[in-house]
Amino acid sequence: MESISFWKKYKNILFLILLIVAVAIWKPHAAIYGLQRGSLYALAGLPLSLTLGIVGIMNLSHGDFLSLGIYIVYMFSVNTGMDPLVSILPVFILLFLLGAGVYKLTITKVLKAGHLNQLLLTFGISMILLEVMNLIWTSRPRSVYVDYASSSVTVAGVRFGTYEFLYVVFAIAVLIGLQLFLKKTRLGQASFAVGQNPRGAKIVGINTSFVYLIVFGISVAILGIAAGVMVPRFAIFPSVGSSYTMKSFCLVAMAGLGNLTGILISGIALGVGEAIVQSIPGYAGWSDIVFFGVLIAVIMIRSIRRPSL
Amino acid sequence: MKKAILLTLVLAVVAMMAVAATPIKIGAVVPLGDITGDQAAKAMRLAVAEINAAGGLLGRPVELIVIDDELKPEKGAAAIEKLATVDKVDFFVGGMGSSVHLAQIPVMKRYQKITIWIGAASYLCENAVGPDADWYFHLHPWDYQQGASYGLGWTELAEAYPEIRTDRIFLAYEEGGFGTASHESYVALQRLAQQGEGAWAAIMNDYMGVSFKSAALGGGDYRAMLQQAKTYNPDLFIWAGYDADALPMLQQAKEVGFAPEFFVGAPPGWPAHFGDSPLAEGVTLYGMWAPTINKVSPAAEHFYNAYIEMFKEEPATYFAPLGYTNIYFLAEGIKAAGTIDKAPLINALEKVEYASPIGEVLKIAPSNVIKHQGFTAQKILQWQGGEQQVIWPLELKTADPTFPFPSWEGR
Amino acid sequence: MKIAKPLLILIVLAAAVLLPIVTEAYFISIAITILTFMTLALSWDMMLRTGQLSFGTAGFFGLGGYTGIIAAADFGVDPVIGIMLGGLVAGGIALILGMAILRLRGLYFAITTMALASVFMVIIRNLHRLTGGPSGKIVYNTLFNYDSNKVYWFMLAIAVGTVVISELFQRTRIHFAIDSIRADETVAKSHGVNIYKYLIFVFVVTSIIQGVIGATYALQYGFVYPESSFSPHYLLLPIAMALVGGIYSTIGPILGAIILGLSSEYLKLIMPYGHLVIYGVIIVVVVLFMPDGVYGAIKAFFMNRKRRLEER
Repeated sequence: MESISFWKKYKNILFLILLIVAVAIWKPHAAIYGLQRGSLYALAGLPLSLTLGIVGIMNLSHGDFLSLGIYIVYMFSVNTGMDPLVSILPVFILLFLLGAGVYKLTITKVLKAGHLNQLLLTFGISMILLEVMNLIWTSRPRSVYVDYASSSVTVAGVRFGTYEFLYVVFAIAVLIGLQLFLKKTRLGQASFAVGQNPRGAKIVGINTSFVYLIVFGISVAILGIAAGVMVPRFAIFPSVGSSYTMKSFCLVAMAGLGNLTGILISGIALGVGEAIVQSIPGYAGWSDIVFFGVLIAVIMIRSIRRPSL
Repeated sequence: MKKAILLTLVLAVVAMMAVAATPIKIGAVVPLGDITGDQAAKAMRLAVAEINAAGGLLGRPVELIVIDDELKPEKGAAAIEKLATVDKVDFFVGGMGSSVHLAQIPVMKRYQKITIWIGAASYLCENAVGPDADWYFHLHPWDYQQGASYGLGWTELAEAYPEIRTDRIFLAYEEGGFGTASHESYVALQRLAQQGEGAWAAIMNDYMGVSFKSAALGGGDYRAMLQQAKTYNPDLFIWAGYDADALPMLQQAKEVGFAPEFFVGAPPGWPAHFGDSPLAEGVTLYGMWAPTINKVSPAAEHFYNAYIEMFKEEPATYFAPLGYTNIYFLAEGIKAAGTIDKAPLINALEKVEYASPIGEVLKIAPSNVIKHQGFTAQKILQWQGGEQQVIWPLELKTADPTFPFPSWEGR
Repeated sequence: MKIAKPLLILIVLAAAVLLPIVTEAYFISIAITILTFMTLALSWDMMLRTGQLSFGTAGFFGLGGYTGIIAAADFGVDPVIGIMLGGLVAGGIALILGMAILRLRGLYFAITTMALASVFMVIIRNLHRLTGGPSGKIVYNTLFNYDSNKVYWFMLAIAVGTVVISELFQRTRIHFAIDSIRADETVAKSHGVNIYKYLIFVFVVTSIIQGVIGATYALQYGFVYPESSFSPHYLLLPIAMALVGGIYSTIGPILGAIILGLSSEYLKLIMPYGHLVIYGVIIVVVVLFMPDGVYGAIKAFFMNRKRRLEER
């Protein structure tokens, strides 16, 4: 009995590991690059899953908060010389406060108004954030140079970069951290309950609006972590995070609402798929098809299995 | 006493304003939210301010009206309509995005005002304008002209420095319209070169092009492309993408261990403080202008200092001196023609020779389709000691090229 | 009161038709853009009334545009015919895809339609020979040779047609079917409403409208370009307009398109830098203070006044 539930629980992870090993034998670079970039997708996607699953908000400004986090990391580096990875801590706190503030000022007022008003509200917020960043820092890219970001090692004749494994480490760490938070802390348990059944949670005396505030704040704050690990490797410009809004939505749809582990698995699977296509000479232009093709396929297959999706 | 002087001054100014004829109106459409359009517009304002300080044109002041196209085609088209019908401008100037310009061209064709454009490099724009539009002047080189001019550049460099080889060329191009146009022009040039023709005839043997997704469009992982480049082992590695790609690509090249003889970038602009990065040293670039041109061109030096004085910022893209050139080119034409009537002014503009802050003298000549094309060449520059030095054209040279590209060790 | 409404509609329509006579080309070009987005917003709202949130607007808009340009450039078809073909192709593809994806609900349907729009773009960008690839494609015979008045009247006709379809959806039997789907699917099923058939019908009709608009836009300026023809701009702006105006109605998206269309243009002229920030603020303020959109707020205002008058 127990072995069956174990199999059920870890089936997807096992498949993923097998996939990576198979790809690694065939195309070692594709496996490494896919694992690294896929983990970054997951790291950026996890907080969106959290807001969508618990607060029920379709946050279109997700990627713009990421860009803002990236600029804050940049400002720390320029003004204090702080290493981007070190600045994760203050940026985490700052973004938490910012997220909670934005929540309190705006989002709390549209909670009852339905998904679409939230969509429009966050679209407006996204526009404001993007344009304010453009006014302050202009569209000209900036960067923070750290020498360790381009270091590499050679293992068994395969030379690859080491820095981006931090994406994998941080994605797993954030995932475990969130799981622990949701299962072991009282606030987390309350959040989980709210996500499962907001009305019921309210009846049993959970302060749902406080839970929403915290969860939204944490979600934005996690983007600060992503920002900190991205800065050493990314050009910094106002729309740097924009594409992560859609990518994150795709991951959530692929993993299914409320499934955090699924975000990591989906992210890595899509990353590896993309990397394989990119490594085939002449077909790099089709790599987006993999991303969206796999996404559509997964959603369709799931809808056949569970027609009430 | 002081009051009296002030009063007379005010009166004099009012009187002058009353006497002065209606202004010559120039309407500009650029993307103000982007650094290229923003700085081009500022440089245009600088040029207009200078012209007015010197007494205007034909005794009339010059007025510049700038409208943001927001990088959206329909907004760009509407901006032209507004300039034509509400502001009733005499001339259209401006530039940047090819897709925005494609939407503007049908509108411009209806008004047929003299138009001087500094952006939109896509050959499709030239086709859309067509051969009959004698009112249309295009100052930025077309995409196919750039590829040809680099051929000339490398040929001359190989003559001047016999160790330079450009036998095997690898182009990494962003998968959008900008990069793909570069790739297509290289493919065409290589076909010519194999028949012993064209600008690359003597110097290009083999060519390979691989696309990547630009960071500016949500990409930014170049490693698969760089692996292919490393396997190909080119003499000349060129990437055609955006400013956001510049540093991440170098980082990833270092990570992959790819250091070709020449590492050439061809983005429309460079990131802020790019020269400060240790990875920048020895990177070659295609561009129209760099601050070091001040050393060889008085026009460039004047522009550069005046721009910094007026706006307290450095001109960061070549669209700044190009915007300045845009206005001065028109002004020179008006001065020579002595009128703003269309036919004589077009005639005069065809003959203008303007020593531009870009470095070269601007002269109009036909291109593949249109009659009035301005610049045809970009320059080959190189990052040395944190500055962009000109290495070609040789007559504007500010430094000798460093090659091979310094190894990644120790940086 | 009974005469007032048709009379009002007639006056608005007449004013719209006569607009080019009293104003200059600039305003007409703004009006064309507003009509373009208005029709997109209305078509999106029509789909939304069935309870299905579609993010595919930009995809069908782009498909229509490419069909129109390819028909005109490669087959020498008259632009007006090209526009019809744009609608047909968009509708045909919507029919095929709709059969598969309309079984999805909520977020899953929304994401799938958005993903499909991206898939369209990638395919079109990689079919160099047919579509011109990433560089795009141009056509010399633009719609009515860029006579903006004629383009305006043409767009107005499409917009009025869309309004009529929208009203038909609201008033005929379809309306009851659609309403019952939105309200409660199981109830609808038990009343014998064939949900699936209705959903496909509405999806195809709205996609045809989006394809027609896309082709009109493309042929008006005579070009298509992957990044701009499939820009998320044609997805997000219509949604914003519908929501600002008020969803689930015909008047709402119309109002929203006019308000946002005019204000974005006006803001840009008085404030060259940072106008988009204000635009974002307007959207946020509307959501916060008029949760049912402008039309909803107006309706509520009159209802309140009526009630107060009656109380008096």
